[in-house]
Amino acid sequence: MRRGAGGLLSLPLVAYLAAFLAFPMAFALGLAFTDPVTGAFPSLASFRAIGGDALFWRALALNALVPALSVALEVAAALALALLLSERIPGRLLVRAAVVLPFALPEIVFLTILRSVLAPRGYANGLLAALGLPALGFLAPGSPLAVASVIVVDAWRTTPVVFLIVLGALAAIPEEIDDAARLDGARGWRRFRYVTLPLLRPALVAAVLLRGLDALRLFAAPLVLAGVEGVPVLSTYAYHQWSDYGDDAAAAAAAVVLAFLAVAASLPLLRRGVEQAA
Amino acid sequence: MRRGRAAALEGGSSSGDRPQRRAEASAARRGTRRRGGRRWLALALLVWSIAAGGCSSGPRPLTLVLAVLPGELASYREVVSAFEREEGRRVLVVAQQYADIRRALAAEAAAGGGGIDLAELDVYSLAAAARTVRRLDPAGPLAPTIAALEPETVRAGTIDGLRFLPHRISWQALVYDREALGRPPETWEDLVRVARRFPGRIGLKGASYEGCTCDVLPFVWAAGGSGERFDDAGARAAFRLFAEIAPYLAPESATFKESTIAEAMARGEIVLHLNWPFAMKLYRSQGLAPERIRSAALPRGPKGRATVLGGGFLGIPLHAPDPAGAERLLAFLLSRDVQRRLAARLGWFSARRDVSPPAEGGLLAGFEAMKAEVRPRPERADYPLLSRLWQRAFRAVVFGRVPPERALAEAQAAFEQARASREGARP
Repeated sequence: MRRGAGGLLSLPLVAYLAAFLAFPMAFALGLAFTDPVTGAFPSLASFRAIGGDALFWRALALNALVPALSVALEVAAALALALLLSERIPGRLLVRAAVVLPFALPEIVFLTILRSVLAPRGYANGLLAALGLPALGFLAPGSPLAVASVIVVDAWRTTPVVFLIVLGALAAIPEEIDDAARLDGARGWRRFRYVTLPLLRPALVAAVLLRGLDALRLFAAPLVLAGVEGVPVLSTYAYHQWSDYGDDAAAAAAAVVLAFLAVAASLPLLRRGVEQAA
Repeated sequence: MRRGRAAALEGGSSSGDRPQRRAEASAARRGTRRRGGRRWLALALLVWSIAAGGCSSGPRPLTLVLAVLPGELASYREVVSAFEREEGRRVLVVAQQYADIRRALAAEAAAGGGGIDLAELDVYSLAAAARTVRRLDPAGPLAPTIAALEPETVRAGTIDGLRFLPHRISWQALVYDREALGRPPETWEDLVRVARRFPGRIGLKGASYEGCTCDVLPFVWAAGGSGERFDDAGARAAFRLFAEIAPYLAPESATFKESTIAEAMARGEIVLHLNWPFAMKLYRSQGLAPERIRSAALPRGPKGRATVLGGGFLGIPLHAPDPAGAERLLAFLLSRDVQRRLAARLGWFSARRDVSPPAEGGLLAGFEAMKAEVRPRPERADYPLLSRLWQRAFRAVVFGRVPPERALAEAQAAFEQARASREGARP
């Protein structure tokens, strides 16, 4: 009776997941493996089509590079900020609020502001000119500097997530451990390396897992800042196929590749996370 | 009421009080019943009002889906209200993007039913959506309207029979920085001179999308090319020009689209580009036009000038709930009075020959100058493939520095090969 009631209560959730998760996924898979010309199923025609497009391969390569560097940068920045702001320094709360601000802003607002800053005649080049330095092509399509700009902006926006996780973990370290380390003569770098960092490791692993998977579906930052061809990633490539060419099958094929990449990347990360937790 | 109810709940202990208490209890029950009755009455009224609303006896509203901007919607609804008064029925105006409208039409056609009576699509997607709309009868009630339209625009809507009629038309002109250039380049030679004078500040829409083709075709046509072959003399001349100005183009041209190129011009990063009339209205709203930024005719090529026809065309979906009503709405929207009002209120260009371009105080002078040079894109089922190959060839020459002849020969070969394989693969 109880089990029956539980099943009944979970029906809306099951229906919701079926309608908004299972069905779209199955539909996208069907679309990706259907020949858009002949309608034959299963077919690899759409995968062959995107495989012949140089932009797809650039998108695939950058979909590995940009998230990896972005997550590395934000973990380093978040760790440094959390260590700094866990100390009792003046204006600590204000600085914490400033660190979290990029994440609190709507993404499109944040990115539009940054595009104005990094444009050829934007504020960044204005500052360089004021310093007597030559202008830089921060968003020049296809340039390494544009890739770096996207990485830095994406890391800046999402650093608060990692920062809050690390700050919470830092606050949870018992003071006795710090005191004991101090008594044993561990100070500065040695205390951080042998006491703080090992205790932060579970939180850092969780942050890398969370952000690593999230970063794979990077979309708005490269699209708004550099355009599809400027810094292509798989999600913007799929969007380009869908919106610019109306090619739903090619878009679905690119999305399937991205999903495969996410699953392939998440398995070792998840395994490592489980091991860490154990 | 509260007292009576309390008394009833208390119960009796002395027999002398009993009749009074019974009376009070009875009154309390009546009160409770009355309140319950009121609740039932309110519920019944609610159900009735919902049912009455759902089964309204008035005529069903007509649903019109089109790609108007949020700022244009109120004015457009006001124009449509005259039809509502005439017909005594509502028109639901639904603002959507063209891509979504095309997908909605495809979904309704596949489902064998739907709720859209009249839909607007951009010129680019007419061929792809032709099978999702009904054929219009050119000799029927729409005949006088069709006779008043520019024949080129009617031709653009004719795909295996007349399917679409032009709701509004549009085309590109040159948008230039008057303060920087003084006067706009009038010929291709002038354009090359301007490019050399302003290195890195000439913009073209080079992102891989239809807007790129709209920048390429005017040059191909202005050199006498057909736009349907990559290896004719016109295509070669146009691509030699692209190769000549390529070193002077703004690097962001590789990703420029209509809105981003317009923004770059507003920031002063580029001194000229090709764009649609919306850009001039945007600059006017920012106080940049007509003083600093102006529009002009496109530079003249060896065989004259040309620009690509754009705009929104109306079609009646295959399974429209009320095709006759939709046809009346279509005739109303294309009537002279309505087209004049749309031109005056929204600054739209009409395809009717008896409606003058919108008076915008010289803001759109360049667009007016190009009116006689407007050409529809090649009307063929494989146009999307043709367009993609124009984009690819342009990007190869301009950003990949591939020699024009080689890029065009590769495009022609790819076009022929793709057509052959598609013909072979088609079931």
